[in-house]
Amino acid sequence: MTEEPRLPAQDMIERLAPALSLTTRIRAVTALLAGMAGTVFVSALWWSEPGPLPGRTHLAFAMLTVFCLTWAGYGGWLLTRRVPLFATDQVIAAWIGLAASLATTAVVTVVAVGRGSGAGPALAVGGLFVAVALVLAVRAHARRAALLRRMHELTGREEGGTRSP
Amino acid sequence: MTDELLVVRAQLGERAALAELLARWRMPVWTYVRRMLDGERADDVTQEIWLAVVRGLPRLREPGRFAPWLFTIARRSVTDRLRGEYAWAQETSGLGDMVGEGIAEDPAEAMVDRAALVNVLSDLPVPEREILVLFYLEDLPIEECAYICQIPAGTVKSRLNRARRLLREHLEEKGYRP
Repeated sequence: MTEEPRLPAQDMIERLAPALSLTTRIRAVTALLAGMAGTVFVSALWWSEPGPLPGRTHLAFAMLTVFCLTWAGYGGWLLTRRVPLFATDQVIAAWIGLAASLATTAVVTVVAVGRGSGAGPALAVGGLFVAVALVLAVRAHARRAALLRRMHELTGREEGGTRSP
Repeated sequence: MTDELLVVRAQLGERAALAELLARWRMPVWTYVRRMLDGERADDVTQEIWLAVVRGLPRLREPGRFAPWLFTIARRSVTDRLRGEYAWAQETSGLGDMVGEGIAEDPAEAMVDRAALVNVLSDLPVPEREILVLFYLEDLPIEECAYICQIPAGTVKSRLNRARRLLREHLEEKGYRP
């Protein structure tokens, strides 16, 4: 039973650092949001393009959309499988998501109106993104609040326990 | 500070709590892995387990049940490495699971002293070795062993009985007398 792990505790924590690094989390959130915003923007341009388009232009728009979707997929995969987002990170990520959704909706609506294709569809798609981001923000806040409440309960119980043996 | 409080604080994003949790459970996890695998693989698998724990911690819904959750992850990593050996051992130990012997009055209980246990553990089939490690070395209750191994509590008891019987035979072969 005197056998010990060959890897010292400090080394072990250092090896876990990449999964916990702020840079990786920022990269993941950026990839997801930029990918999604790009997909919406390129699709809006594609959809609102006046007149019939040549085959090559369709192909270019399709490729750009796939490219943006790939980035969104990569960001989503990082966030759900590779990078842990703790409760506070989730709140921050949700607000960044909401801001990005609002900005994308505004830009896409301006572009759609400028091209004379009407603001309705752009606002509908943008509104959907904003609604999803809002739900995520509310859920993240609720989860963090529940954890904080539990932390205070447990801290109070431990302090009470140490005061009255 | 309880594990639950540490888990809650770590889930909120407090790095110090995560480090404390890791320091507290580092040896128990390593002990489990080392008893199930050889020394060369134990360090790698332990690292893999901790990476999975860190990645999965935000999704842990019951912070009060950290230990069984942790050992479920540990067991998954170990069984991935032992896949062939484990499947074979489960087939051969099936008979033992069906024997519903009592648990408390087993005389082999007295023999299970840790040093002797560790010496002969590697000779036992994987399911029996695993249940002895969880129950005796990790001091986990029957219910948590059942949760971790995904078997009914009754099977844990019968597997423990079989494991003790095998252990007794191995110890006697090596000349150990209680």
